[in-house]
Amino acid sequence: MTSTKPILKAIELKKTFGQAKSIVHAVENVSLEIYPGELVLIMGPSGSGKTTLLSMLGALLQANSGEIYINDSDIALMNESDLANLRAQKIGFIFQAFNLMEALTVEENILFPAQLGVDKGKNAKQRLAILLERLGLISRRKALPNTLSGGEKQRVAIARALINKPDIIFADEPTGNLDSHKGQEVMMILHDIARDDGCAVLMVTHDPRVEEIADRILWLEDGQIRDRKSEQHDWVKDPVCGMRVDSWSAIYKTDYEQRKLVFCSSRCLERFTKEPNKYVVTEL
Amino acid sequence: MFYWSIKTLFSEPIRLLASVLAIAISFILVIFFSAVFEGESDQMVIYFDKVDADIWVMQKGVSNMHMASSMLWDWKVDKISQINEVEDVAAILYLNGPVKIAGKNWFSYIIGITPEYSRAGPWSTIQGKSIPGKGEAIIPEVIAKLSGIRIGDVLALVDRKLRIVGLTRNTFSMASSLVFVSRADLADVLKGSDQYSYIMVYAKTGANHHQLKNRIEEEVDKVNVLTADEFIKNDKQLAVQMGVEIVNMMRILGTLLATLIVAFTGYSLIIRKKQELAIAKALGFKNWQMYSTVLFQSLILSLLGLILALIISFGLLARLPDFVPQINLSIQLHQFTFILIFIFPIASIASIIAARSIVKLDPVIVFQN
Repeated sequence: MTSTKPILKAIELKKTFGQAKSIVHAVENVSLEIYPGELVLIMGPSGSGKTTLLSMLGALLQANSGEIYINDSDIALMNESDLANLRAQKIGFIFQAFNLMEALTVEENILFPAQLGVDKGKNAKQRLAILLERLGLISRRKALPNTLSGGEKQRVAIARALINKPDIIFADEPTGNLDSHKGQEVMMILHDIARDDGCAVLMVTHDPRVEEIADRILWLEDGQIRDRKSEQHDWVKDPVCGMRVDSWSAIYKTDYEQRKLVFCSSRCLERFTKEPNKYVVTEL
Repeated sequence: MFYWSIKTLFSEPIRLLASVLAIAISFILVIFFSAVFEGESDQMVIYFDKVDADIWVMQKGVSNMHMASSMLWDWKVDKISQINEVEDVAAILYLNGPVKIAGKNWFSYIIGITPEYSRAGPWSTIQGKSIPGKGEAIIPEVIAKLSGIRIGDVLALVDRKLRIVGLTRNTFSMASSLVFVSRADLADVLKGSDQYSYIMVYAKTGANHHQLKNRIEEEVDKVNVLTADEFIKNDKQLAVQMGVEIVNMMRILGTLLATLIVAFTGYSLIIRKKQELAIAKALGFKNWQMYSTVLFQSLILSLLGLILALIISFGLLARLPDFVPQINLSIQLHQFTFILIFIFPIASIASIIAARSIVKLDPVIVFQN
């Protein structure tokens, strides 16, 4: 479903924080193109600038230099109001922490940005019904976020990101707070969105399981996109869920009885921390 | 966003109640001071209302009663009573000053009356005599309660002792209570046995009060004649002049307090909901939309505060004089109108700090896990 015209184009993006000796080059000369229907991953070690890059591409953070085009529109030329419209109408966001509105029900959360859409929310109710059905949330439509499981919360967040039919979705570690099963489920939904709707999905992740369904992987290291070297993979087993995890890029790690253990998600790490003996014994 | 703001407010009912209660208390303060002021102002002229004269005659140059002194020769009473349109007259000797009861001075309207002019006397005696004889006095029951004295006890008027023979209701005021004594005693004090201070004139049915007023001025020398409305207005105006600055200051303080509470509530809500506001910003809501939301929340809080203040004022505050009898309260709807007029400015000013926080809010925090 890919097209020859990129939905997102970034040229020579740079972002630094701090000054003089304490300056940090978070993103250094990054150029990329994302096409409709693509699911592209941005991977890399912690602190490599992935979230900073995503923030800039999502028109939330201003770059020091470089250009970003979304649907051929240069976002550097947009004022605050235009950028807000762009985020509301062209971009969908999915976050690791779900970021739902606590006081709103599932359907209210999904409809929350609908009034900002191109049609001012005119067809929002119809789209809501479709999204609830598609994401398996019909029975939970009146539920409040604090009664939802992590997987349900992320599905609500996905529905909210889709309510205004965006051209591109930026997802920041969308499986980071989910166990392996729920994480898989969320990844498949995002994969389907890209394949079936033609919506581009740009995902920051540490989760190696996503690699299998991604169209492309951009490896970010020290703020720069680099070729990913094969020796940088070090596949190990998550002692909790048994998933394959790249210990080189994994962020959920712990030392236990002089061993380094690596986990696929925060959930698995939490489970391990509660009952380490259970999982270590299993592995042995 | 408006829907979000309402649901967010009501999702924390205890916090909401605390905020609304705090705002209501500041509004009640404003209402309380206005009500005390108006209650006292009304009480200052209650004597004029109750004696219900059509026309008041006093010494030339005098135009009110509060803190005034007036002396008229007693023959003027007869002269006025002989005018055709006059149905009846009553006359009093009057002194504005302290009366010492149980060691404490009570600033009072001291009215010297005679049985002949009993309609100028107390209108609601709850215990004892209605007309004091020589050496006697009738005082408000509130003073008796507060001083712990009873009928038969003694009060001091200048250099003489008077025995308390009656208690009256609805005659107490913090500024000037009504103490009735015999004209003879007051005449001794004032050295004016052939004088009165004020003459109350009751017109015949159908008589034109303004024409009668002019007639009295023509017939009687060196007097000032006022219709009851003019006389009451003068006294009330004096009361307003005396108290309006203090009451206005209290109103401003109460309003400022309410503004501070609304601002604090709005600001604390923003701090607590910072993440959600950042999400809204990231999703494409503009600063003005979010500011409108905060303003809307402040308005709702202020309105809820006002409604609660209304309920408390009419339900509880109005009963305060039952427990604190020395307070005269007059709770009127227009006191709420004052607050209602100021609610939008209060909410707007209170939202400024919140608005600044919203503008500064960095939507990138949505990526913080």
